Amino acid sequence: MGNPTLTENSSQKLIELLEEFKSATSLTKPEKANRLMGQIDILCDSVDGLGVIYNLIEEISEGGIFNETPWADPSKLVAGLVHWTLKSGHPNSTIELLSELRLMAIAKGDYKTPSITAAEADSFIQEVLVGNLEFVFNDPVEETRLTMSEHELSKVHNLFKFLSNHIHLDDVKDTLAEELTLICEQRPVVTEKQRKIIALVKEKIELDPNKEGDQKLLSFQRSIYRPAHRTINVDVADYRAVLEKLNNTELYLESQEMGESMLRYGLVSAYHAVLLKYLIEKEYFRTVPICLGLSPVGESRWQEHTSYLSKLILSTVHVANSQCIYGLAKMLENGIIARQAVRSGLSNLGEIKLNSEVEERILKSSNDPRHEVTARQYLIGALFRILGQPLGVGQGNNPTCQSARGISMWSQHAPAKLINMVQTAAVTNDITFRFEGQEIKASTTGKGLVQNLDYNLDAVSVTLVPMLDRIYNEMMLRGSGRAEDPHKWVNPALYGQWIQIGFASAYDYLSNAIVDFDGFVRVFYAMCHPDYNGNHRLIYPNPVGIFITSSKGDMLGFHAVSLLRVDKDPSGEYRAYFLNPNNEGRQDWGQGVKPSVYGNGEKHGESSLPIHHFAARTYAFHFNDLEAELLVDNVPAKEVEKVRTLAKDSWGKSYTWLETKKKW
Amino acid sequence: MAKCFALMGWSLPVIESMQKLNKPYVVVSFPDFENYAKEHDIPFVSYQFDEWSDTSNSIDLHEKLKPFDVDVAVPLFEETVEWAGALNSIYRDDPRVLNRAFLFRNKAMMKRKALIGGLRVGLFEEVYNKEGVKAFMKRLNQANLQIENEEDSWVHVKPFASAGTVGHRLLRSMSDVDEKCQEEDFPCLAESHLPGKEFSCEAYIHKGKIRFLNITEYVKLGYSNFIPEGNHLHTKRDRIMKEMQKLVDLFGIEYGMIHPEWFLTEDDTLSFGEVACRIPGGHILELAGKAYDFDALGAFVLCHDPNITEEELDEILPPLDARPKNFYGNVMIYPHKKQISKLEIPDELKEEPYFLDHNLVPPMSGQKISDRDGFGNHFGTVNFKGEDPDRMEELLLHYENVDFYH
Repeated sequence: MGNPTLTENSSQKLIELLEEFKSATSLTKPEKANRLMGQIDILCDSVDGLGVIYNLIEEISEGGIFNETPWADPSKLVAGLVHWTLKSGHPNSTIELLSELRLMAIAKGDYKTPSITAAEADSFIQEVLVGNLEFVFNDPVEETRLTMSEHELSKVHNLFKFLSNHIHLDDVKDTLAEELTLICEQRPVVTEKQRKIIALVKEKIELDPNKEGDQKLLSFQRSIYRPAHRTINVDVADYRAVLEKLNNTELYLESQEMGESMLRYGLVSAYHAVLLKYLIEKEYFRTVPICLGLSPVGESRWQEHTSYLSKLILSTVHVANSQCIYGLAKMLENGIIARQAVRSGLSNLGEIKLNSEVEERILKSSNDPRHEVTARQYLIGALFRILGQPLGVGQGNNPTCQSARGISMWSQHAPAKLINMVQTAAVTNDITFRFEGQEIKASTTGKGLVQNLDYNLDAVSVTLVPMLDRIYNEMMLRGSGRAEDPHKWVNPALYGQWIQIGFASAYDYLSNAIVDFDGFVRVFYAMCHPDYNGNHRLIYPNPVGIFITSSKGDMLGFHAVSLLRVDKDPSGEYRAYFLNPNNEGRQDWGQGVKPSVYGNGEKHGESSLPIHHFAARTYAFHFNDLEAELLVDNVPAKEVEKVRTLAKDSWGKSYTWLETKKKW
Repeated sequence: MAKCFALMGWSLPVIESMQKLNKPYVVVSFPDFENYAKEHDIPFVSYQFDEWSDTSNSIDLHEKLKPFDVDVAVPLFEETVEWAGALNSIYRDDPRVLNRAFLFRNKAMMKRKALIGGLRVGLFEEVYNKEGVKAFMKRLNQANLQIENEEDSWVHVKPFASAGTVGHRLLRSMSDVDEKCQEEDFPCLAESHLPGKEFSCEAYIHKGKIRFLNITEYVKLGYSNFIPEGNHLHTKRDRIMKEMQKLVDLFGIEYGMIHPEWFLTEDDTLSFGEVACRIPGGHILELAGKAYDFDALGAFVLCHDPNITEEELDEILPPLDARPKNFYGNVMIYPHKKQISKLEIPDELKEEPYFLDHNLVPPMSGQKISDRDGFGNHFGTVNFKGEDPDRMEELLLHYENVDFYH
């Protein structure tokens, strides 16, 4: 509803309904309120619409919309309740939204009421903002995605856009710094969210370099806006001219600073692209590894492939897609670039002509209205990032955890296959897979899980995911009706031959119940726990199905993650380290089960949980069915019991449990 | 000027109108509403309308209403039409007022009356069991000169005394009779299918004269209608007015409102369907009130008062020849699925300039939908407003098939 006449029209209707509501006696007020709320709900589809409501909020409030509700007295509201009420859908979410608008009006002095002061209202709104950062940045956690409709999500996001546009954010600094740390520690491929927060902080919050609390936020800001000495007060457009005046040593120091800045949070500034290209063009080849922040291992790879990489960098990197430099650096570190197949694949991509639909998707996701960079450059840049940071692949606000998991897995274990798949998809807007001897072509299958793709994705994902999603869905259809979870066959077909043949599911399709959960847990521990699997490490990521539970432990839905490794954390406790494609930093699955993303031995991009917590949310995984039989008896009953209790008291309540033993 | 109106049945919008008009009234309704009435200072007499005995009858109710000085009874719902008729018979000292009320409550009697008076009606008959319906259908087939393997003639069966579409079944074949009719439906009225465009009239009557006539165009029975009538029907207004006055004279209606349904075929034949004398369903008076900008419910009540002055009538009713600029229509929304979990207002509706408002509420999680009876249990209404009746009709037809609940 960006259309001004539509907003005008809706605003006229709102005024009419408001008049009817105001003139109704208490007898028909509830019915009129219902209609008024219906119209308000519709107006919330746009930020402009919220403006219309805001302008009338005093009248709406005085008209009695809050009367005889828990929102009646603004001084008795609890900021902590706002989050859940907003998630509970219309009409509750709508009246909650009105309540926030009323508080904002009070905070700004647009609406005076004796029960609460402007300062109190302001601090309430700030508290609400802190508690709802996922809405502020439109980055809902899995739980939210499962409970809210698209309309409700955009409505609530619009509210927070509106609030943050009009309210000072001074009191939320610590939370924002924590949020930025949680995101950046995961080194996600898509960096829009942290950039948005950093930009918001820059625009809205005054920071004092002498205050300890502010220093962290300033350091995030610097990584984007002034990563090195010579960038201070210099526009990106003028930076090259500055570089041209520098001597060798000065360039070296500038590069060193630039590289360190990038490594600190995994964020690349636009200046970095200028510097890197300048170094290559002027043949300062020895300084390039410094600029990329490379270790000696990475540096030797640079030296081995200098001319290949120089060409690749000059044709791909640009100020508008500078973030790919971090991915490139990581590709040099992890050795992916050392493979001939990868180098050939990347070279080939430089020659292709993109399908126009794919091109459109990529440009739409790039958030670059000036189109300074071609879709192909974005695509290759995104490949750098995917290949360099396989654990940073995310699904965005899409129900496509399966596809994201696949991209991540291929980028680690079959990078050339991935590049080739990207190439096919980019040229033909189609891909084919084999499923049990038959071909599945994305273009001839039905719809996938995602109907409206959220474009807050990298260019590789926007290219592949719509098709992978369809293929996955088609495989699921073909595999269904066999009285077992179709993932048993779909996972190996989709992800590749390194997926183990054995498949364990806690849920039994025939009896519609959880059958022999103890046995299930034993197999799980025998598969991955070093104490019981013969002290072995996992070799390939294991696609695991987990239950998503609410912070109260209630069953919400299903989710796909990859179990990467089981290891002792710095405190000596065994933890499961896994890839969660939704890149959530703050998660609470109830019963104290809270996945962490840093501080417990995680590598960038990993989530982790104590092993029994992870097991207590797992419902399906693959295992080696030839080996497992010999190992299951190693698992002590005490361990199994811990997992069982957690499972049964949470998602387990939604199922019948049968104790019959079964052959795994 | 009435000393006090007895509102027969519970309706908050009517009570609100009476309060705003500042007219004396008392509500007569089931005991369930007593507490609410007390809390909101609504004069109230509780009465068990569905009981008829030595202690529950119009004489008894008449006594109970005496303290309120009631002299006019107003039927708001189908089930209170006889009660109001009985009371008004006493107030006006005219036993035929009650008989007229019975006329509205027996669809066979009503049709017979219309037929005698020269209104065109379909073929109809009282039936007592399925065999009776089949015999009726058979005779209808014969009259329609059915040849073997041709479709059966359509037959409608309706209870004698239910409002609107409650218990109304359309039977398209002999086998439909077996499948759709229940033993408890009988006895009832069977009638031939009337083709043509269906519309209803809401005639406000005082001293036997139509003082205001609204025509409601039915887009789809039980789903959608709009007000005032579209351009084509409007060209027939004078004829409709004549037929309506004929109906009023024939039925001897002196005060109140009647709400008959008519069918107009392409060859301009006007057939009478049935008539009621309570507040029509489908939010018709709400739409009429908006379209003509008057208090349609208040006027409905006041027309029942034999002693209201001409000035007062002129003040509350729109002029007889009023033609509003804007058309108001609504479509009632029913879920299409058996189990629903969420409400989704489609974007096309939000962006529709004719869209006015809606009162749909989200379902409980995983709500199951009970079977429909007489279109009674819709989930809410979507209202439209606009200047072009053809566009209005198009929209109403369209949104009837849009699924708002998923």
